[in-house]
Amino acid sequence: MNKISTRQLYFLLACIMPAGKLLLLPTRLAEAAGNDLLFPAAACYLLEAGAVFCVLLLAERNTSLYDLLRERVGKVAAGILLALLSLFLLFAALLPLMEQRLFVQSIFYDTLPSLAAFAPFFLFAAYLCAKPLFSLGRMWDLLAPVAIAGLLGILVLSVGSAKFGALLPVGAGGGRGFLKGSAAAACWFFDAPLLLPMLGHIDAKKGTAWRGALFYLAGGGAILFYLAVFYAIYAETAVNQLFAFANTSKYFAGITVLGRIDYLFIFALALVMAFYAALPLQASVGCWTQTFRAKPLPVLLSVLFSALFFALLSLLDLRFGDVMDCISGTLFWIFPAMSAGLPLLLLLLLWRPRRA
Amino acid sequence: MKNVTAALGRSREALKKLLPAEDILTFDFRSENGISFSCIFADPITDKQLLGEEVIRPLSRYKGEAKAEEVASKVTSPEIKREKSLEKLAAEVLAGNPVLLFEGMDEAVVAGTKKVFTRAIAEPSTDVAVKGPREGFIEDLKTNTSLIRRRFKTGELQIDTVEIGRRSKTCVSVCYLEGTSVQKTVEEVKKKLSEIDIDAVPDSSYLTHFLSSRPYSLVKQVGTTEKPDIFCAKIAEGRVGILVDGSPIALTVPYLLVEDFQSSEDYFVPPYRATFTRLLRLFAVVVAIYLPAFYVAAQLFKLQLFPVKLLLTIAGSIRDIPFSPSLEMLLVLLVLEVLNEASIRMPKYVGMALSVVGALVLGETAVSAGFVSTPAIIIIAFSGIGLYAVPNLIEQTSVLRLAMLLVAGSVGPYGIILATAFLLYYLVSTENFSAPLLAPFAPLTGRDLRDSVLKYNLGSLETRPRTLKSPNRRRLS
Repeated sequence: MNKISTRQLYFLLACIMPAGKLLLLPTRLAEAAGNDLLFPAAACYLLEAGAVFCVLLLAERNTSLYDLLRERVGKVAAGILLALLSLFLLFAALLPLMEQRLFVQSIFYDTLPSLAAFAPFFLFAAYLCAKPLFSLGRMWDLLAPVAIAGLLGILVLSVGSAKFGALLPVGAGGGRGFLKGSAAAACWFFDAPLLLPMLGHIDAKKGTAWRGALFYLAGGGAILFYLAVFYAIYAETAVNQLFAFANTSKYFAGITVLGRIDYLFIFALALVMAFYAALPLQASVGCWTQTFRAKPLPVLLSVLFSALFFALLSLLDLRFGDVMDCISGTLFWIFPAMSAGLPLLLLLLLWRPRRA
Repeated sequence: MKNVTAALGRSREALKKLLPAEDILTFDFRSENGISFSCIFADPITDKQLLGEEVIRPLSRYKGEAKAEEVASKVTSPEIKREKSLEKLAAEVLAGNPVLLFEGMDEAVVAGTKKVFTRAIAEPSTDVAVKGPREGFIEDLKTNTSLIRRRFKTGELQIDTVEIGRRSKTCVSVCYLEGTSVQKTVEEVKKKLSEIDIDAVPDSSYLTHFLSSRPYSLVKQVGTTEKPDIFCAKIAEGRVGILVDGSPIALTVPYLLVEDFQSSEDYFVPPYRATFTRLLRLFAVVVAIYLPAFYVAAQLFKLQLFPVKLLLTIAGSIRDIPFSPSLEMLLVLLVLEVLNEASIRMPKYVGMALSVVGALVLGETAVSAGFVSTPAIIIIAFSGIGLYAVPNLIEQTSVLRLAMLLVAGSVGPYGIILATAFLLYYLVSTENFSAPLLAPFAPLTGRDLRDSVLKYNLGSLETRPRTLKSPNRRRLS
C-alpha cells in the first residue's frame, strides 16, 4: 500500500517544510519589511495554513486528485489541470534549487566549487522521485527529529546573542512594508500545492485537515521565532546576511573552545533541506504518473526533470539575482494564486461531505 | 527396477547400482534359521559398533519367519522404518542409516545408526557475553534443535525440516511458534526454501541470498546469530528461525537493522546501562563510517570544521606528507583492511607477529618516515575499532566507510550529506517479509522504541513488537 500516514504528514508540515524557509527568506524579508519582518511572514503562514486545510479536506475523500477531477470535469480537462499544476511545481522548484545551490557553495566550501559539486543532488532527486510515496513518508519519520534537533540547536546557540529590542518599534514600515514583505515572501510559500499530488495516498481521517493546518502553523511558529532571533542579532545589517542560519550560532561563547559544533546542526538541517528541495520535483512527477499510470513513467520523468533542472541551473548559474528578482518581484502573484487560490477553487469544485 | 523384490541378490545388485561408490559396503550374514540378510551401509558415516550391537547381533540369532514386521521388531535400534523404494533406500544409506535386505521379502528395514560427528557446545567467538548463557550453536542440526527444544517446552514450537540441495540434500529446519509467528511469513519462508534449486548448501549464508527481497543489496536482510538464547528470544517475539545442518549460524526473519545494535547481554543488565551501550554502539558505527570522510572533506574543502588549535596541530603534522589527504587516508585504510584480513586468516602464532609488524613497522615507521600523518593513523585506528562495536555489520559498514571516503575526497562535505540522504532513502525503502528494515524508526512505531536503541525495563515490554505483526501480541500479563 503506497500510503502516507497522518503522523508522517504532520511531520512533513511541522518539521520538513519549515526547513525550506531558512535559507534566503529571512534576508529577503528583512530587506522588504525591515524590523516588521514577522508580520508578512505570519500573514503568508496563515494564508498557506488555510490552503493546507483546504487540501487536507479534499484528502479526507481518499481519492487521487486526477480521479476527483475526472469525476467532475472529465478525463481531458483533468489531465490538462494536472499538467498545469505540474508546470507550476516545476516553476516553483527553481528558486529553492538555486538557493540550495548557493547555500551549498557558500557554506560547505572554502573556495567556490564548480557546479559538479552540486550535480549529485540531481542524481539523488531522480532517485527520490522514482520511489513510491510510502518511502518518502517513512523518510519524514526519520527526518522530523533531525530537523527539530537542527533548528533547536541553532536557536539555542543563537538566542544568547539576540537583542530583541532591534524588532522595535513595531509597525515602523507601515502597510506598505507589510505588503512589500508579503509579496517578497510569497515565492517561498507553495506548500499546499505540494500536497495536491499526494491526495489519495494520505491515510486521512476526520480531523486531519485542521490538525494538519495546526501542525503547519506550529512549524511556522518556529520559523517566526527564528526570524525574530535573526533580526535581533543583525538588526539593520540583516539585509546583507545571506544564509544567516549557518552563521547566527557562531557567536555562541563555547564555539571558540569547542570549534564549530554548530556545524552538526547545520549538517542536520542541510540533510532535511536536500529532501525538501527535491519535493517539488517529486510532486511534479506525481501529477503525471496519476494521469497516465504507466509503470516506467516515474523513472523516466524523474531522470528527465532532474536533467532539465541541472541544465537550467548550469545556464542560470551567474544569474541568480535576476531570477530571484523576476520570481519574487514580477511573478510573485503566481504563488498566492496557485498555492492559496487553487486549493480553495478545488475545494469548492470537488468537496463533498464524508458519508457516515 | 524401482522397488525391492523378494530375490535378495537382485535387490542388492539394484541398490549397489544406485550407489556405486567404493565406501558403500555390503555385509552378508545368515540368521540361525538360515534366512540370508544383506546389510548395505555407507562406511564413513555409519556407526558400525551400533550396527553390530543393535542390528546384526539380534538378527544373527533370529529364528522367526522372513517377515519385515517381525524382523524389524527384533532390531533394538530406536529408529526403525520399513521402505520399498530403492531410491529412498539409497538416500537413507547416504544419510548414514544402514539398509537391511533379506531373502523372500519385498521390503527392506532401515535402522537409524548413523555416526554423529559433533564438536562440543561452546561459546561462539563472535558473540561473547559477560553475563547470560554461553552456549552456542554447532554444526549438527539435531544438537541445535535440541538446544531450542530445551528452551521451549511447548507443543507450539514447530520444527519443520526440508531437504535443500540437489546433491548435498542438506536438512534445513524452519522453527517457529505456532500462533505467535505470522503464518504468512512462515509460508513465505517455506515457499522460498522450496523454490531453491541449488547443487549444495554448505552453509546457512547460502540461503540468505534466496530469502532476501533484494539479493544484490549491500544491506543485510536476514538476521544471523550463533546463540540459541538469542535465536529463541527472536522466535518468541514472532520471528521465524532457520537452522541449516552443517552450519552453526542460524538465520531469522524478518530482520530489522536495529537487531544488530542489540546484544543478549542488554537483557541481563539494568535498562539504563543497556540503553547507554546501545547508543554507544550506534555512535561507534556512525563515527567509524563518517570520521575518515569528514576529516578528508574538512582538510580539502572546509577547514573551518576544525577548531583553530586542532587545525594548527593537523597543519603541523601534514606539512611534509607527499600525498593528498584523500589518498593518504585511502592508503592507511587499505593497509588496515589488508592487516585485518590477514590477521583473521593467519595462524594465531603468526598473527601475533603480524600485529607487531602492523602496529610498529607500518604505523610508527610510516609516520616517522613522513609517508602518513599521525592524525590519519589515529582516525583510521578509531574508525577500525568503532566498526567492531557491531560485529554483525562489519561487511556493510566497512564498504560504506570506503564509499563515504571516496565521496568526501571528490565532492566534499555536501557529498557526504547527499550520500547519507541516498543511504537513508535506500534503507527506508527496503523491506523483507513485510517488515521495514528501519522499523521502529521508519515507519515510526512508538511502542517498539522501548526495545530498540533504547531499552526499557522488562516490565514495560508487555507486548511483542508491532512491526512483526504477531497474532499473539501480549507477552507479559
